[in-house]
Amino acid sequence: MTFLKNFINVLSVASISFILLSSVFAMLVYFCLLDGRVKTKGGTGFLVFGAILVVAGLFVRPLLYLAVAYFLVLWALAKIGPRLWEPKVGKWLLIAGLGGFALSMFDPNFYLIAAKPDNVPIVAMIFLLAIFTWIALRKAYLNDHAILAGGIPYEKTESDEKLFTWPDLVYTEMLCMILLTIVMVVWSVGLRAPLEEAANPTSSPNPAKAPWYFLGLQEMLVYFDPWLAGVVLPTLIIVGLMAIPYIDTNPKGNGYYAFRERKWEIGVFLYGFLVLWSFLIITGTFLRGPNWNFFGPYEYWDPNKLEPLVNVDLSELVWVKLMAMPLPKLWVIREAPGILIVLLYFALAPALAARPFRRFYLKMGGPRYYVGAFLFLFMLALPIKMVLRWLFNLKYLVHIQEIFFNI
Amino acid sequence: MTLKQVQEGIVNSQVWKSIFRVGIPNTNRKRVLAVLGSLILHLHPVKVRRSGVRMSYTWCMGGTSFFLFLVETVTGLLLMFYYRPTIEYAFTDIMDLREQAPFGIMREMHRWGAHAMVIAVWLHMFRVFMTGSYKPPREFNWNVGVILLVLTLLLSFTGYLLPWDQLAIWAITVGSNMARASPGAGTEGPMSSLMKLGDVPLIHAGDDARFALIAGRSIGAATLLRFYVLHCMVIPLAAGFLMAIHFWRVRKDGGISGPL
Amino acid sequence: MSEPITPYQVAPKTPLAGSAASEIREQGEMTRRSFPLVLTTAWAALAAAVGGLTTIFVRFLFPNVLFEPVQKFKAGFPADYSVGEVDERWKDKYGIWMVRNQEMMYALITTCTHLGCTPNWLPSQNKFKCPCHGSGYYRTGVNFEGPAPRPLERAKIFIDAADGQIVVDKSVQFHQERGEWTNADSFLKV
Repeated sequence: MTFLKNFINVLSVASISFILLSSVFAMLVYFCLLDGRVKTKGGTGFLVFGAILVVAGLFVRPLLYLAVAYFLVLWALAKIGPRLWEPKVGKWLLIAGLGGFALSMFDPNFYLIAAKPDNVPIVAMIFLLAIFTWIALRKAYLNDHAILAGGIPYEKTESDEKLFTWPDLVYTEMLCMILLTIVMVVWSVGLRAPLEEAANPTSSPNPAKAPWYFLGLQEMLVYFDPWLAGVVLPTLIIVGLMAIPYIDTNPKGNGYYAFRERKWEIGVFLYGFLVLWSFLIITGTFLRGPNWNFFGPYEYWDPNKLEPLVNVDLSELVWVKLMAMPLPKLWVIREAPGILIVLLYFALAPALAARPFRRFYLKMGGPRYYVGAFLFLFMLALPIKMVLRWLFNLKYLVHIQEIFFNI
Repeated sequence: MTLKQVQEGIVNSQVWKSIFRVGIPNTNRKRVLAVLGSLILHLHPVKVRRSGVRMSYTWCMGGTSFFLFLVETVTGLLLMFYYRPTIEYAFTDIMDLREQAPFGIMREMHRWGAHAMVIAVWLHMFRVFMTGSYKPPREFNWNVGVILLVLTLLLSFTGYLLPWDQLAIWAITVGSNMARASPGAGTEGPMSSLMKLGDVPLIHAGDDARFALIAGRSIGAATLLRFYVLHCMVIPLAAGFLMAIHFWRVRKDGGISGPL
Repeated sequence: MSEPITPYQVAPKTPLAGSAASEIREQGEMTRRSFPLVLTTAWAALAAAVGGLTTIFVRFLFPNVLFEPVQKFKAGFPADYSVGEVDERWKDKYGIWMVRNQEMMYALITTCTHLGCTPNWLPSQNKFKCPCHGSGYYRTGVNFEGPAPRPLERAKIFIDAADGQIVVDKSVQFHQERGEWTNADSFLKV
C-alpha cells in the first residue's frame, strides 16, 4: 500500500484514472465486443495513442505512469478478448474484485471511508453495476454472433412461447418480494442509518458532501459554475435521456440484448452512464477529502493538506502568457478567444462533422442530427473541461465577471 | 380430518368463495380467471412472454423499484406518527425513533430503502436501454420512466433534510444554492445583474427560485416544513400517478419488454 | 279535412316562430364572420383564467413574512480587535469575520460565494478555505482557487455615534466585482 501511495502522484490521481477508464472502455468495446485485434487498423490506433502518452510522459511525469498502466490494460484486454464473456472468466474477475476490495479493507484509511454507513450503498452499487454490465454485454455478444451467423437473437427464439401469469410470474414476484424483504430487514438491523449532530448553520462539516447519488453533480461543480453544473447540465441530462427514443431511429435491437446493431447508441450511453456519471460519483465519494482536495485511494485524509491550486482563465493564458500584453479593458475583446472556441465547438463542429459522419446525417435527417450532436457535445464538454483543468489549471474559457457569465 | 379435507373445507366455504371466486387455480381456465378476477393481479396480462419471467433478462429491477416504493410508503407512514417537522423537535424525534421507538428499525429501513430504490431505478433504466426497449412503440413510456427517475431522486433529496442534522442541512444548502444560479430565475444566475428596472433589481435574494424552494433567504423552519410536505405528499402522489400510467402503458405497448 | 293528429307527429322546427324567443335565437346565431372572434375570445379567456390561477399558486409559494434571525448587531469597540488578525468571535452567532489591518477594518460575510457553505479560516496558510468544493480566499476575501466565481461579500460596517461601538449590518452587502468595496460603508478607517 505504501508503495502504491508513493507511486501515484496524488494530484493527478483523478486525471490518470479518468483517462485510463476512458481508454479501458474503448478497448473493452473494441477487443471484447467487436472481436478486434491489435494488428488491425483500430488496434494500431490504440498503440499510437499509447505512444503519444509515452512521449508526453517524458515531459509530464504522471503521464508516464499512465502510459505504463495503459499498456498493461491494452495487453490484458487484447489477450482476453471475447473470452471475457465466458462465465468462468467473469466469475474469476468478480472474485478478484471482491478479493481486492476485502484486502483493501485492511488499510485503515480505506476502511474508514468504505465502511461509512452512507457509503455502503455505493460500494454495493459498484459491484452491482459491474455484474449487470457484464451480464448485459455477454448476452449482447452472444446475440451478435447468433445474428452474424444468420440466426436470430435468443430472445426471439422464445418470443412466441407464452406462460400463464399464474403461477409463473406471480410466484417469481412473490419470491423476489420475500427475498427483498429479508435483505431490507437484515440490512436495517445490521447497519444503523447515519445521524450526525444537530444542524448548525454556522459550521460546515469538512468535507461537506451531498447525498451520494448527487456526488456526480457536486463533482461537476468543481469544473463548472453552478448555473451550468447545477442547472443547465442536469436539465440537459434529463432532456437528453427523454430525447433518446426520438433521436435514435435505428429500428434494430428492439427488445433484445445486442451490441453490433446499435454500436453508437450503446457506446455513448455506456460512456455517459458508466464512465462519466459513475466515475464522478466514485471520485466524489472515495477520492475527495477535507477541503474537497483530491486524495489517493489509500491516503490519509489530512485536513491540513496543502494543495496550491491557482487556476487561470483562458483570457489570461492567451493575452498575458502567450502574447505578453495586459488584458484588454473591454470584455468583448478580452474574452474573444474563449467565446470563439465555444461558438466553434457548438456551431461549427456539428456542421463540419456532417461530412465524415454523413451516414448519420442521411439516416437521421437534419433536425435529429443537430439535436443529437448538440446533446452529445454537451456531454463531451464535461470530460474536456476536466482534462483542461487538470492539465492547464484552466478555470474559465469565458469569464465575464461584468455580467457574471462564466463558462 | 386430513389436511386435504381442511383445505377443501376452507376453499369451499362461503366466506372464501365470496372473496376468491375461482378456487385453487389448478386448471388453465381457472388460472386465467384468477388473474382476470383480481384487481391487483390484473395489473398483469393473463399470459406473459417467456422472457418477461426470465430474471436474467429483466433483472427484476422494475418490480424491485415498485416494491421498494411500497416499502418506503409503509415505513414512511409509520415514521410520520413520531416525527414533527419543526426545528425544535425534528432532530430529537429522529433520536427518539433511533433509540426509543419499539422495533426501531423503521428509520433504518426507510433510509436504506431509499438508497436501494435509487440503485434499482438506475439499473432498471440501464436494462431497458440495453435491450432497446425504449424504441417504438415504447417511446412515451420511456419518458414517463425518466420523469419517475427524477421524482425518485427528488424524493431522496427532500427526505435528506428531515433529520435536521449536519448532514441534512449542508447537503440541502449546497443543493438549494444551485437553484440560486438558475439562468433567468436566480440571483447568482448569469446576467442576472442586467435584469433591473432603473436601480431596482428584478431578481434578488427575496424573490428568486431558491427563495421559492426554501421559503426564505436561508435554510430554516419554513424550509423544513416545505420539504416535509413535498416529501410526504406532493412527490409521492405525483410518482404514484405516473406509476399507474407507466404500468398501464407497459401492457398497452406490447407487454413486459421482449422482441417486437 | 284537416289531417288527423297522430301521437307520432313531428314537432315543427321552430315551434315559437314569430315569438320573442325565436327572435333572440336568430340574433344569437353565429355567423361565419363572427366565429373566429368568438373562438379567440373564448380561448383567450381560458388562457387568462389558467394563467391567473397558476400565478396565484406560484405566488403563494413566496412568503410575505419571514422568521429569520436579526441581521444587524453591535460588535464592540475597534480597540477590541488586534491588527493583522482575522477575528472569529462573531462567526457562530452572526456569520461574520472581522478583519483588521493597518489602515482599516471590514466585516466579511462567512458564506462561500460558490454554494453557500461556511469556509474555515486557516491561519497557518493565511486563507479561507471552503470545505464543500475547495474554494480558497485570501484574507481580503478575494478568491484565488477552487470554483468560487467571485470574492466574499462585505457587510455594512459603521460606528454608532451614540456609544462609539461598531455596528455591522448584514442586510447591506458590498460586492468587490461590482466595485463596491470603495464605498465608505464597506470598511472602517482606523
